Formats: sequence, C-alpha cells, structure tokens
Amino acid sequence: MEIFEDRANWAATFRIGWLAHYQRTGETDFKQYNRPKNNTAPAGSGVDLRRSRLVLISSAGGYIPATQAPFDAPNPLGDYSIRLLPVTTPLAAIAYAHDHYDHAAVIADPQVLLPLEHLAALEHNGTIGELASNVISFMGYQPDVGRVIDELIPAIYRAVQAEEAQAALLVPS
Amino acid sequence: MGLIARALELDGVATTLTSWNAGVTRLTMPPRATFTRLARGATLGRPGDAAQQLRVLEATLALLAQDAPVVPVSLDEHVDP
Repeated sequence: MEIFEDRANWAATFRIGWLAHYQRTGETDFKQYNRPKNNTAPAGSGVDLRRSRLVLISSAGGYIPATQAPFDAPNPLGDYSIRLLPVTTPLAAIAYAHDHYDHAAVIADPQVLLPLEHLAALEHNGTIGELASNVISFMGYQPDVGRVIDELIPAIYRAVQAEEAQAALLVPS
Repeated sequence: MGLIARALELDGVATTLTSWNAGVTRLTMPPRATFTRLARGATLGRPGDAAQQLRVLEATLALLAQDAPVVPVSLDEHVDP
C-alpha cells in the first residue's frame, strides 16, 4: 500500500502542466492541476481513545509570532515546513500565515480550526486519554505532492513519533 | 490531509479527519473521515457555535474506535444555523 498510488504519473502531469505553466508565466492555473487520487484506503486498527494519546494536526498555518517565523504564505510553490505549537498556548497568542482561506472565522473564533480548548475539555472528561504536548501545524497550500511526500510527511511523522501518539486528528482549513 | 492520514495509518497511528471538501478529500481515500457542508476557513463549525464544533469533533473522533478503512460519514452540519 502506497501513500500515493500513482505518484509517477501525477508527477509527470504536474511537471508538464501546472508547473510548466507557472515557470512560463509566473501564474498559477489550477485548471491545469491534477488532484491526487487513490483507489484503496489503507487498513489500520482502531483505538480506544480513552486510553490513547491524541495529536492534533492542523493545516491552518498557525504559528506563534513571539517565537516562530511565519509560514511562507505568499509563495506560489507552497511551504512544506511544520511548526510545533504547545497545546497550552493561549489561542490569542497564535497567528495564521496562510493566503488561501478567509481568516475572518478563525480570528473571530480560533476553535473553528484549532480546537485546543474543546480538546482539553474532552481530555478532562475522559473522552480522550491524553493530548499530545504539541499541535503539529503547517500551511496547507502545497501544490507539489512530491514535496508533500518527501518533505512534509517525514517531518510530521517524526513529530508524531516524538509525541508518542497512538492517534491523530487532522483538521484541514 | 488525506495523504498525511494514509501515511500515518500505514505507520501504525490511527487517524481521523473531517473536511468540508468531500469531493477533493474523498479522492485521496483516507482511512477514516467525516464530511460536512461547512465552509473553508471554518472546518469545525460556525464561529461562536461551540455546540456545533463539538458535534463535529466528537463524531470525527468516534471513528477512531473502528478498524480502518471506514466508509466516510456525512454529517448534517451546515454553514447556516
């Protein structure tokens, strides 16, 4: 089972289509973008969440301006790095570097994308055994799926292993 | 997010996700997912609507109890109250 079943063909169409157009014109044209597709979902064992450590993975572009650099939100080729946000971080101390969604909702109520207080409450009432110490945060504009697999996913994998999490909740923006 | 979920699941971490964009997310074949009719930038619910956000969260987390792959679950959650 592969993360991406048809990576080679996808990469070829990306190079001659979307990427070539960008290199030629400096413009991004998502009419030429081939969305990644798989045929089969992977198998995996379920867990008892009451006895598990859960890590939150967010693509909202959250970072802590006081201590961290923002994501490269304006980059047309994307940003494939991650930031770790301690789950105890006050929501008001988190900013969002992501140019591909309207920030009005997350500014009004950060829990629409980053539910730290909700998850803390679920940990407190026993629904979740334990929350991982950090949220794994990235900016979810990444047109190059090859770089997602070669750069982003290994970084996330290492962070999940460091958190010793048995389960992950992924919240896209 | 679907590809990240697949990668972690293949490495033994149980994953679940929720998305307002069922069309794109479904193509990646994630192990467990809920789909809503919420909006980009407000994946878990309307701003200020903690009850809706918790419903989406709890329904999505509940899938972790099941062995994957799980048929994606459509939640009756909308942008409008």
